[in-house]
Amino acid sequence: MSEGNLPRTEDAPQVGASSRPAPIKAIPVRHPWRWVAGIVLIILGAMLIHTLVFSTSQQPHQSGSRFQWNIVGSYIFSPLIMQGVVLTIELTIVSMIVGVSLGVLVAVMRLSKSRLISGSAWAYVWFFRGTPVLVQIYFWFYISALYPNLTLGIPFGPSFVSINMNAVLTAFWAGVLALSLNEGAYMSEIVRAGIISVDEGQGEAAHSLGMSKGKSLRLIVLPQAMRLIIPPTGNETISMLKTTSLVSAIGVGELTHWSLDIAAQNYRFIQMMIVASIWYLAMTTILSIGQYYLERHYARGSSRALPLTPFQQIKKNMRHYHLGPKKTESYDLPEVNHE
Amino acid sequence: MSDVTPMVKAEQVYKSFGALEVLKGIDLEVARGEVMCLIGASGSGKSTFLRLINHLEKLDAGRLSVDGELVGYREQSNKLYELKDKEICSQRAQIGMVFQRFNLFPHLSVRDNITIGPVKVKGQSVANARDRAAALLERVGLSEKIDAFPSQLSGGQQQRVAIARALAMDPKLMLFDEPTSALDPELVGEVLDVMRKLADEGMTMVVVTHEMGFAREVGDSLVFMDDGQIMEKGNPREILANPQNERLRSFLSKVL
Ligand SMILES: Nc1ncnc2c1ncn2[C@@H]1O[C@H](COP(=O)(O)OP(=O)(O)OP(=O)(O)O)[C@@H](O)[C@H]1O
Ligand SMILES: [Mg+2]
Repeated sequence: MSEGNLPRTEDAPQVGASSRPAPIKAIPVRHPWRWVAGIVLIILGAMLIHTLVFSTSQQPHQSGSRFQWNIVGSYIFSPLIMQGVVLTIELTIVSMIVGVSLGVLVAVMRLSKSRLISGSAWAYVWFFRGTPVLVQIYFWFYISALYPNLTLGIPFGPSFVSINMNAVLTAFWAGVLALSLNEGAYMSEIVRAGIISVDEGQGEAAHSLGMSKGKSLRLIVLPQAMRLIIPPTGNETISMLKTTSLVSAIGVGELTHWSLDIAAQNYRFIQMMIVASIWYLAMTTILSIGQYYLERHYARGSSRALPLTPFQQIKKNMRHYHLGPKKTESYDLPEVNHE
Repeated sequence: MSDVTPMVKAEQVYKSFGALEVLKGIDLEVARGEVMCLIGASGSGKSTFLRLINHLEKLDAGRLSVDGELVGYREQSNKLYELKDKEICSQRAQIGMVFQRFNLFPHLSVRDNITIGPVKVKGQSVANARDRAAALLERVGLSEKIDAFPSQLSGGQQQRVAIARALAMDPKLMLFDEPTSALDPELVGEVLDVMRKLADEGMTMVVVTHEMGFAREVGDSLVFMDDGQIMEKGNPREILANPQNERLRSFLSKVL
């Protein structure tokens, strides 16, 4: 055995550099297929850039690039498009809030000991997961024709309030209703998986402190389930943002609706769809970043050290660069109050 | 008069899980200030009995009372009424429980683990609860860990926090379910020390344990359970020195 293989301990005197073997110099393994794949991708990328930017229009009465980016540019911040963006955000936020709340409620019902309660929750999920959202959207939009006046009261008995459905269930709210009922079904499965993943001992410890089922769920189980619930909920939010485009079918003035509407007048369908895509991409990108930080926050307690955020990583690298690697940085999380 | 009421009184307690009968007529009394150690082979029903005292499980037959109050039921004109969820919670709030696997709340700091019970269940003010938490942590020798999270603590430290968390509710009875079995041998002592101090201060304790040294030195009484029944009970020093029951002898030969 050579000296270099001996374990080094702190108190053993460090042997001089002479005994240290020279750093390994070996010929690396070649990866020819990586090169081939790389070249193919570069060519494809160049073709894409060429056709997007440089290829010229082949239509006789048009000049400039085939994609006519100037048209995209002139519509991207136009008032109707902006109005559509705002409504898309509103639809997403409202539908997600209602959907997540419904999801938690249905998940808890699903875990109830009462067969009737857990059965109803199961039926809800079965129905809304088993029918297309677009069908549900049309359904809620046209339901007001079936119930022009919705009356609340005891079945077969007296009624208390009467609601004019045409006034209340506007296209916007029909859309929200459809989107959130559908979302609730998916979210309930996510929440349920999260709740089940929490160790049973947690609930028992909470009960042994005298916490009721509700408190134990709210203060102990759900916060821990969050770690599993948050990542798919982020995906659901991103997915919801895109799904809102379906309510253009019932004339809700969101992003896709106005993009189509403008295109129907100027016949620039591709350009208007590019406008819409840019906005959707911008919004989903922002959501993905938010999701990253949320996941990081809820990872607390499960691991001893959190990975640095990209921003912290940059800051750390800069500091290394300026000050040298003298100081080791520890990033403590801000204290979170639970009261 | 009230001092005569035992802290725990079990009369002919039966409990089954499906077809499996786990407790087959348990009779026992724990006096105020008594430290009772419960020993027995795995599966003999020790945890189940502790969980019945805290109403984490319902008993099938017999009576079980804590401090003169039936656990989980109210008796009125010879009829038993199930207690409401809220009443069960208030019974549990008076009984501290320490688990084999600590069951600290991993998403809360040590301080919040200790204050969450007093604040959210007893309605104590946050400031008071925090003062109390600091005092309790000092008592279990972990003052410097007040801001740590459970995952940053060793097993022994976690268990001491779990004891502090239970004590924060000012329980009149403490239940310990094998509090040191999940610990590395060198960490057992620190937890037993805290428990010994607690016993010296007069806390009523029921301790399921395999630590015969603790049972001998700290225990006021020892109960040997086997197959859902109590086989032997009495003074731990006498029983351990001179076990009468054959099963107990073979059990001790395995544990010691
Ligand atoms: N919730 C439950 N459902 C079904 N069976 C159970 C349940 N809890 C306990 N049992 C069974 O009851 C028996 C007694 O369990 P218990 O946990 O009381 O034993 P124990 O004496 O504490 O054993 P150990 O020393 O291993 O902790 C075991 O056979 C166990 O499998
Ligand atoms: Mg047990």
